[in-house]
Amino acid sequence: MKRLAFILLFVLLIALFTTGCWNRRELNTLAIQLGTGIDKIGDQYKLSVQVVDPGEVAAAKSSSTERSPVVMYKATAPSLFEAYRTMTVNSPRKIYGSHIRVLIIGESLARDGIDKVLDLFSRDAENRTDYYIMIARGTTAESVLKILTPLEKIPANKLFASLDTSSKAWAPTTAFTLDKLISQMVTEGQHPVLTGVIIKGEPKLGETQTNIKQIEPSATLTLSDLAVFKGPRLIGWLNRDESKGYNIIMDNIRSTASNIACPNGGSITLELLRSKTKVKGKVISGEPTIHVQVKTEANIAEVNCKLDIQDPMTIKYLENQAMQKTIDLMKKSVKTAQTRYNSDIFGFGQAIYRSDPKYWSTASKHWEDLFSQLQVKYKVEFFIRRTGTTGNSFVQDIKG
Amino acid sequence: MGSGSAQHRNHINLFREALGQSPDLIIREMKISNTVPAAILYMDGLVDVQSLHDFVIKPLMSVKFKDLNVVLPSKQNLLELLVEEVLGAGEMEISGNSEELIKHLLSGNAILLLEEKRDCIRIKVAGLEERNVTEPLTQSVVRGPMEAFTENSQTNIALIRRKIKDPNLWLESSSIGNVTQTKVSILYISSIASDKVLNEVRARLKKINIDGILESGYIEEFIQDKTYTPFPTVYNSERPDTIAAGLLEGRVAIVVDGTPFVLLVPGLFIHFFQSSEDYAQRSDISSLIRLMRYLAFCIALFAPSLYIAITTFHQEMLPTSLLINLASQREGVPFPAFIEALLMEVTYEILREAGVRMPRTVGQAVSIVGTLVIGQAAVQAGIISAVMVIIVSITAISSYVMPSGSMSISVRMLRFIFMGLAASFGIFGILIGIFGLIFHLCNLSSFGIPYMSPLAPFIAQDQKDTLFRLPWPRLLTRPLLVNKKNIKRQKQVK
Repeated sequence: MKRLAFILLFVLLIALFTTGCWNRRELNTLAIQLGTGIDKIGDQYKLSVQVVDPGEVAAAKSSSTERSPVVMYKATAPSLFEAYRTMTVNSPRKIYGSHIRVLIIGESLARDGIDKVLDLFSRDAENRTDYYIMIARGTTAESVLKILTPLEKIPANKLFASLDTSSKAWAPTTAFTLDKLISQMVTEGQHPVLTGVIIKGEPKLGETQTNIKQIEPSATLTLSDLAVFKGPRLIGWLNRDESKGYNIIMDNIRSTASNIACPNGGSITLELLRSKTKVKGKVISGEPTIHVQVKTEANIAEVNCKLDIQDPMTIKYLENQAMQKTIDLMKKSVKTAQTRYNSDIFGFGQAIYRSDPKYWSTASKHWEDLFSQLQVKYKVEFFIRRTGTTGNSFVQDIKG
Repeated sequence: MGSGSAQHRNHINLFREALGQSPDLIIREMKISNTVPAAILYMDGLVDVQSLHDFVIKPLMSVKFKDLNVVLPSKQNLLELLVEEVLGAGEMEISGNSEELIKHLLSGNAILLLEEKRDCIRIKVAGLEERNVTEPLTQSVVRGPMEAFTENSQTNIALIRRKIKDPNLWLESSSIGNVTQTKVSILYISSIASDKVLNEVRARLKKINIDGILESGYIEEFIQDKTYTPFPTVYNSERPDTIAAGLLEGRVAIVVDGTPFVLLVPGLFIHFFQSSEDYAQRSDISSLIRLMRYLAFCIALFAPSLYIAITTFHQEMLPTSLLINLASQREGVPFPAFIEALLMEVTYEILREAGVRMPRTVGQAVSIVGTLVIGQAAVQAGIISAVMVIIVSITAISSYVMPSGSMSISVRMLRFIFMGLAASFGIFGILIGIFGLIFHLCNLSSFGIPYMSPLAPFIAQDQKDTLFRLPWPRLLTRPLLVNKKNIKRQKQVK
């Protein structure tokens, strides 16, 4: 018994000294990196890192000084890891990567392929994988990270929070974390998309403190619609409706607004409460088809026309209109993917594979051709549950 | 003085010399019935002068042999005669053993010497100035009895007897301490207490051979199972209700004269988390509060070490905004987190010790300096981060949540070990420490009962009063391991 205890103790002691990665670092020796941007210059990577200056962000300090809440460090090197280490020549502290909020990839690099830059982020032990990845649309990642933002002092946090909120309340955006992106890139019969970020306004003015001293900043960061990938390469962008359609098919909708035209002018806006989409693949006599089933519940949020919404028939009519609109959105999105980009961003191939693996083994080789001709059938059930706190709009009763 | 024979004088001098001619030995000489020279010896201050006068001196002075049935009593049975017919006090004894008599003299007896007799009568007329029964100072409750033990073991035993009026509440007394002759009593309910534990207590007490016992802590260190452990294996309380509850569970109480702290064995880990109030309040709130005590135990033990580990090794575990907040507080702090924590914890311990030890009059000055220096100045000067002050405060407060002071002492000591482990190995180090702690705890026992029972070994039936306390109608049995003899607490009502 004693012997056994000693052996156990010994094993535990060995364990003490054989643990992998632990490293003692005080908080004030860390440069906490919240935003990372990657661009390509020639065949070198340009890494821009947004590091927070904790003293400037702390809640306790109400009177903010003239110092910027974040600092940017840049380095150019043939590999990202090298770039990180090169950074120590101008950063007083070692860049700490566990708390990245956003990873921004320049559009030109994305068009070349993002696969090579993601390896470091998935391999490094220090990184968490819960940050969002975005594409700097029409600009470089570096310039996106240079814009100072109001309200959220840290621009990287603002991007994270924007995407987090809007992916929950607004259909055209969708949030991608690193592991989700990688899994979509390696899954057969599926191609990824990513949300884009654009600079609105004057980028040069956005880099100074004056940008956040105005009511309306000279430059703001705005989320754009979705970027379509084929494999690791960006090949184009969806527009807003197509992005919406994409998210409906992918069951990414948590809540959004949807507009329906009234028959006699004006419009009615619906607030989507719940939406559930099922995508099923079927192969009937060698012919692959996709069935998309959507079930949506909504409330009436805004009425801007003369329509008696207390009449059940009107509700039926609105439900029909909304159903038709949903189908249109999805159709548009699928059509763009099929004809313009020929990239299976919806994972239809994956759905076919799941329903008929045997068929897939032969079809996968020429899936690109099959995808562009793929039959997609839609079935939408749309329910309007409530009309808000009033019945008919007062708009109808306004005199004159 | 001068009556009586030389032999009588010698007899008196024997006592006087045994006590080194001490002036507080009072010798009152008299002649009983004008014929028999006698002397009453007592220690000044140890006897109640009033009762000595009323029940001993007065009857002796007024007795006339002719009033008694014997006209001229035979000198042989004069002592018996006095005991039987004259003296009015309660406890008395005829004895010729002068060593014994001196011991009795020193514990509040008066000794009556008669001429031409080797034997004397000792009469118990003890009357020591003593403290009243007051509210407990260390284990206060909101609901429950508000009385506490005093320094007098007789009073203490009486307080327990008042709660348990059962003939089976037995008492075994002995004196321990070659010089102090301290009265140590074992108290148990014979129909419930386990004989195994009882025999063990008797045997361990018998082994003690020391010059003096001044507090029950002496006894505790002699009779505990393992000497070198930070954890207490003997429970102590100054509350009669706590001790009575322990006796009803089948445990054994040890009352030591001269201290209000009564020992209770076996003392298991869970006992130190139980307060007598748990049983007075409703079971739901008692259970929640008991859970909170375990939580506070963990906070007191781990809070500083977890802070050190997370902020110096595992920054990725913190939410980003919290990390930035903590980092901003640490900007400019010149010490590593471990040194910072150590500084604060040691400062706190010093303040605490000073607070206990210092004269009441300077208390305010010390506490003002303490709060200002640690609470404010250190943070404002940028030497200590504000969050560290919060951590140290919550740790300090948590360690006083435990109803028993002994357990909070162990926590205070172990905390520093965990801080060291956290500073060198991070959370991994803390885990190693926890493993070691669990091994140690499971290895301990108190009077043969595993220290962690009923958690390890797990006794399902005893869970009713471990982490939770079920309502009284559900507490049907006494704790099983302590108790083999008489398990049923109540008859189940259907």
